[in-house]
Amino acid sequence: MIRFQGTANTLGLLFCGTMTASMSHEIKNALAIVNENAGLLADLVALAEKGRPLNPERLKALAADISRQVQRADSIVSRLNRFAHSAGQPITTTSTREIFEFTAALAARMAAMKGVTITVAEDNTVLMQARPFIVENLLWICLKHLFAVSTGNQTVQLGAENADSHVIIGLQFAASTPVEEIGKLVTQEGQPLIIALQADVSTDAQRSLIRLTLPKKFEE
Amino acid sequence: MRVLLVDDEEELVSTLAERLAMRGITASWVTGYRAALDIVEHEPFDIALLDVRLPEMNGLELKRLLEVKRPGMKFIFLTGHGSEEDFNACSAESGRDYYLIKPVQIEVLMAKLNEIFQQ
Repeated sequence: MIRFQGTANTLGLLFCGTMTASMSHEIKNALAIVNENAGLLADLVALAEKGRPLNPERLKALAADISRQVQRADSIVSRLNRFAHSAGQPITTTSTREIFEFTAALAARMAAMKGVTITVAEDNTVLMQARPFIVENLLWICLKHLFAVSTGNQTVQLGAENADSHVIIGLQFAASTPVEEIGKLVTQEGQPLIIALQADVSTDAQRSLIRLTLPKKFEE
Repeated sequence: MRVLLVDDEEELVSTLAERLAMRGITASWVTGYRAALDIVEHEPFDIALLDVRLPEMNGLELKRLLEVKRPGMKFIFLTGHGSEEDFNACSAESGRDYYLIKPVQIEVLMAKLNEIFQQ
C-alpha cells in the first residue's frame, strides 16, 4: 500500500529526481571509460619512453573508443536537456510514438538493471493533445512498479490505438505479470496525474495488459 | 595479488584490467553477477572490485554471495552514483575507505588495493 499521495507537481519532482540521478550515473560511466582510456594512452606513452614501441593501430583504437564515449555522453546530455525542458512544456499535440520512445530512452538503464527491455509497438502512432511530461510521468510509474516485481528477462511493449475521442495506451507485459496489482499501485500513486490527464487506468489480466485511456483532445 | 573486476561497462573493466596488469596485478573482469559467481568457482581472487549498480543484482548482494564461495576475499565498491544511501550501505559492508566514486584515478585505486591486500 502506497501511503504517499502527492500532487501532480510533487510526482513530477520525484520523476525529475529519479531520471536525473539515472542519467548522471550514465554520464559518470562514460566519463569513467574516457578516464581509463586516457590513462591507458598515458601508460602506453610512458612505456614507449622506456623503449617499448607504440602500436599506431592501438592508439587509433583508443582514440576511437574515447570519441565513442564522448558521443555517448553527449547523447545523454541531449536527452537530459530535452527532459528538463519538457517539464514546462504546455499542452501540445504530440504523437504517442514520440512519447513512448522518449520514455523508453529515459527508463532504459533502470529497466536494464532489472532485466527488463522496453519496446515500442510498430505502426500504431496516434496523435493526442496532452502535456507530454505528465504522460511520461504516468508511464514511468507503471514501469517502476513492473520493475519492482520483475524477476529478470522480461519485455514490456508500449503501444497505442484510436478509440473514437480517446487514445488507449497499452503496456503489454509478459504472461504471469501481476498486472492487476500493478494497476492498483499505479492508480494509487499516479492519481494526481490520472486526474490531470483526465485519464482512466484499467487492466486485463488475461492479456497481461495495463491500459491508460486518455482523451485525444484535452480541455482544461 | 589477483583482482576480479565486476562492472557492466565492459570497456571500463577491460581497460582497467590492462592498466592493472601493467602495474603487476593479475586482473580478470566480468560484466555481470552470474559470470562473477561462475569465475570465483574456478579461480581464486584476493580482492573483488564491484560496481554497486549491477544489472539484476546489486554489488552488495553479490558481495555476500561471493563471500560464501570465497571466504577471506576482500571487496572494494565502485559507483557512479555516489548517493548517501549507497555510501552508507557499502561502508557498512567494506569500510568507508573502500567505496570509490567513478572516475577513479589509477594511483588511488592502486593504493586502495595494496592497503586492503595487506590487511
